[in-house]
Amino acid sequence: MRDLPESRDLLALARELLLDELLPLLPLDRQRDAHLIATSMAIAAREAAGEGWQQQIAGLLHKFYGENGSLVRFAADLRNGAFETSPSRGKAARAILWRLTIEKLREGNPHFLAANGFIRAGLKGE
Amino acid sequence: MAATALPRSETEPADRQRSLARFLAEASGADAVEIGRIALLPGGAIQENWALDAEFDGGRLSGAQRLVLRTDASTGVPSSLCRVEEFAVLQAAFAAGVTVPEPLFACADAAVLGKPFFVMRRVAGSALGRPITLDPALEPARSALAERLGRELARIQTIRPPRDDLDFLKMVGPREHIASFRGYLDRHPNPRPVLEWALRWAETHLPDPLPPVLCHRDFRTGNYMLDGTKLTAILDWEFAGWGDPDEDIGWLCCKGWRFGRLDREAGGISDREPFYRGYESESGRRLDPERVKFWEVMANLRWAVIALQQSDRFLLGGARSLSTAITGRRATECELELLMLLDPAGAAERAHA
Repeated sequence: MRDLPESRDLLALARELLLDELLPLLPLDRQRDAHLIATSMAIAAREAAGEGWQQQIAGLLHKFYGENGSLVRFAADLRNGAFETSPSRGKAARAILWRLTIEKLREGNPHFLAANGFIRAGLKGE
Repeated sequence: MAATALPRSETEPADRQRSLARFLAEASGADAVEIGRIALLPGGAIQENWALDAEFDGGRLSGAQRLVLRTDASTGVPSSLCRVEEFAVLQAAFAAGVTVPEPLFACADAAVLGKPFFVMRRVAGSALGRPITLDPALEPARSALAERLGRELARIQTIRPPRDDLDFLKMVGPREHIASFRGYLDRHPNPRPVLEWALRWAETHLPDPLPPVLCHRDFRTGNYMLDGTKLTAILDWEFAGWGDPDEDIGWLCCKGWRFGRLDREAGGISDREPFYRGYESESGRRLDPERVKFWEVMANLRWAVIALQQSDRFLLGGARSLSTAITGRRATECELELLMLLDPAGAAERAHA
C-alpha cells in the first residue's frame, strides 16, 4: 500500500549521503555529531527490521515460568536470588539474559558484539 | 574553540571580567589583574572549564599566568561535590604529590560570577580518549604510562580519613553502591534483569573490607592529560569520596573506558601488568584479582546506571541532545560485559571463534 522506495531504503540512502558527502564538509568539531546521527539512523533501520525477537523473549519467559511471565517479574526474581538453589533454573535464566542482551546489541551496537567475539551470537545453545 | 563570554550571570560580560579581575587580585595579593584571552575549553558536559590568560601586577602570581577557571555548566547534572569541595580535594591531591594542576583560588561567592568557581594553573596536553588509545606515536610509551597511572593512583590513596579539610566527603562502600543502583532501577521505567542479576551476585560476593581511602571515582582514560607521552594532569575530581582501594582500579580497567582497544584491559592503553606493577610498587599492597573482579563488576553496574541516567535527561528531563539521549544504549554494552565476567561458560558457548 505504501509508496516506494521503502523507508529502510530511504534511510540507507540518507545515511550514505550524510557519511559520504556531507560529513567531509563539516568542521572537525561537528563531525562527531554527524556520526551520532548516522548511528541513530542505523539503529532505527535495524529496529524496524527486527521486531520479532521481543516475542521470542516473551515466549522464553512463558516457557520458563510455565505461565505468562514478564521482564518485570523476571528482574524481581533475579534480585531476590529466586533461581540460585536450582542449577538448571539458574542456567535457563542466564540463557534468557544472554538472549535478551545479544538481541538488543544486534540492533543497538552489532560492532560491539562482534568486537567481543559474538559474530553470529545468540543462535547457539538456545 | 569558541572565544566567548565568561559563565552566565545576571551581569554584563565586561562587569563579570572586572569582578573576576578584582577577585583574582585580592586572592593573590596583586595590585591589579588584567584579564586577556578567555575561551571555553571543549568537553565539559557537567562542568565548564575556561582557559584564562591574565597578567598579575604584583602578588604571589606576579606576571603572565595561564589559568583554568572551572565552574558548573548551566545544563549540567548534579554531581557529588560542589566546586569549592572539589577544590579542597584537588588541594589534598596536590599536597600528596599526585600529578594535578596546581589549585590556586576558590570562590564560593555567587556575586562574583553568578556561581561558585575555582581557578587552577593550566597545564599542557589533551585528555581525549581515542587519540590516547589509538595514536601509534604513543605506542612505545604505553607501558610506562600505565605504570605511572598505577603510581598516581597509589598516591591518591595515601589520602585517608579522617581529614578535617575533607570532612564533607562521604564514605560509600559496596553495600551503599548496591543500594543506590537498586534505588535507581526501582525508579527506572524499564526492567533491567541483567543488572538485577549482577547486583545480586555483587551482594552475595562482597569482598572483605579494607581501610577506606580517597577514591577519585572517575580515574580513567579520558580524565588524564598527556602532553606528547608525558602525563601532565589527573582531572575531574567532582565524584571523589571515601571508599574501597580497589574501586578505582576496577573503574580504570572497565571495558567502557578502553576507547576502541578492548584488548588493552588497563584503560585501553596496555595490559594490566604494568598498571598493577606501578600501583603495587608505590602502595606496597598486592592486588587480589578476585577483589579487582568484584570492583570491575561494580564499575560496569555503575557505568550502566550512569548511561541510563544520561538518557533520562532526554526521556524525563526534556534535554534535546542526541549525544545524551543515545548514551543510554551503552547500558546494554555493560550488560554484555557483566554476562562475560560472571558467566564465562555461557560466553564461551555463545561466542564463535
